[in-house]
Amino acid sequence: MASKKKNRAPRKVLFVDDEQDFLQVAREAFTPLANGQWEIHCAESPNAAMELLKQQKMDLVVVDVNMPLLDGVQFLDLLGKRHPSLKKVTLTGFATEEKRSACLAAGAELFIEKPQSDNEFKSVFAMLDDLMNWAPQHGFQGLLKRVGLQDVIQLECLGRNSSVLEVYNEHVFGRIYIENGNIIHAAGGDLTGERALQQLLALPGGSFELVAFEPPPQNTICGAWESLLMEAARVRDELASLTSSDEPEIDPKTLTAPAAAPARVVEMLICSGQCQSLYEENCPDVPSRAVMLKNICDMGTRFARTLPLGTFDRVELQLSAGRAIALIRSDRMIFVRVSRETPGA
Amino acid sequence: MNGSFQQWLENFAASPGMVACGLRQPEGKLLCRGIEAGCSTEMMETILVQFEELRSTSSMADLAPRWTTWTFDQGRIRFIERPDGWLLGLVVRPGSAAAASFDLLSREFLSFQPVS
Repeated sequence: MASKKKNRAPRKVLFVDDEQDFLQVAREAFTPLANGQWEIHCAESPNAAMELLKQQKMDLVVVDVNMPLLDGVQFLDLLGKRHPSLKKVTLTGFATEEKRSACLAAGAELFIEKPQSDNEFKSVFAMLDDLMNWAPQHGFQGLLKRVGLQDVIQLECLGRNSSVLEVYNEHVFGRIYIENGNIIHAAGGDLTGERALQQLLALPGGSFELVAFEPPPQNTICGAWESLLMEAARVRDELASLTSSDEPEIDPKTLTAPAAAPARVVEMLICSGQCQSLYEENCPDVPSRAVMLKNICDMGTRFARTLPLGTFDRVELQLSAGRAIALIRSDRMIFVRVSRETPGA
Repeated sequence: MNGSFQQWLENFAASPGMVACGLRQPEGKLLCRGIEAGCSTEMMETILVQFEELRSTSSMADLAPRWTTWTFDQGRIRFIERPDGWLLGLVVRPGSAAAASFDLLSREFLSFQPVS
């Protein structure tokens, strides 16, 4: 591990803070801790930081939340748009819940209080170093874990920007065109229009890049971006529930995963709210299942009292071969288990 | 090891639509975070403790779910338990980026190899 670290090129870390004193302290504290593994850059304003980012690629940007003119949250938004895959962390001397939520929502990976003591610097150093070493293995790079592809589109639309999002993984290449905040065209594989947009947003993994706008060959999409993204989210959920739990192979032409084996109902129980069986099919232990449903019903109600999530509806269980669902209604409880294994397999 | 899991979780806590999240260590210690305003760390701890109660009392064991997803009209909770005893609880808003990455997160949590 140590030799691997020694052979690695130093990580470029950019600290952005209007307090020159803190930048100096940070440089002095982190340099010995990094032991040559970090290349520390400092900028006293977001403008200076953007200039540095134009000149060289950074591995991590550490932003002070309280800066004049453009504060940390606004700067994070800007960084997210211009450098969506860049890792970002916020530091603050005055942490509040509001600030934390705003920074995380704006794309910060971590929200940390400014270190004061040697031990705090050590701890922050470890967190930042870990963050740079961490690489996602699934999902869109820099995306599903932090800012979603859908969120980048949303930001572009909200900002009334014009851009092209190039979305790709090992099987698929697609483009989503946004002009003045409207999604006007999408293309990928053999698909164009809304269908292409939906399938690109439903891809299980890959990368994306925001590039300069160029007019599309045709306009195939109209309508409010909010509705388009909502519909895409619905299609994505639907596709996720239809495909198997393993990473699906994507057809590069249709951008879809092959259909999973048909589901087969292997067990069903309908019972009253008092656990009386009303109908059962292949249920191995009716009383036990009925008690389980009652427990689920009680627990869902307790969860709903603890967190502001609204009314409890159902539980889905992901099983090694198939799924099960427990539906809770005011007068009855329903349990269905389906398998994707072929009978006798 | 705890730090690695916590760090891993911190990366996802930033996903838009994440309401709260928490980890229960094999020895029972809880590492929780309330993210959305109105959802405190204590609430998430309560949720994990309540789920523990259900697991210990219900007859769900024969089904051995890899994860369970509790759906409400304004949110979803997912619990994922690893064979080594780590339990992850995630609370998200429906239709959000966090909800869309639910399955990826779950699989990643199950296959995550913390650096010891």
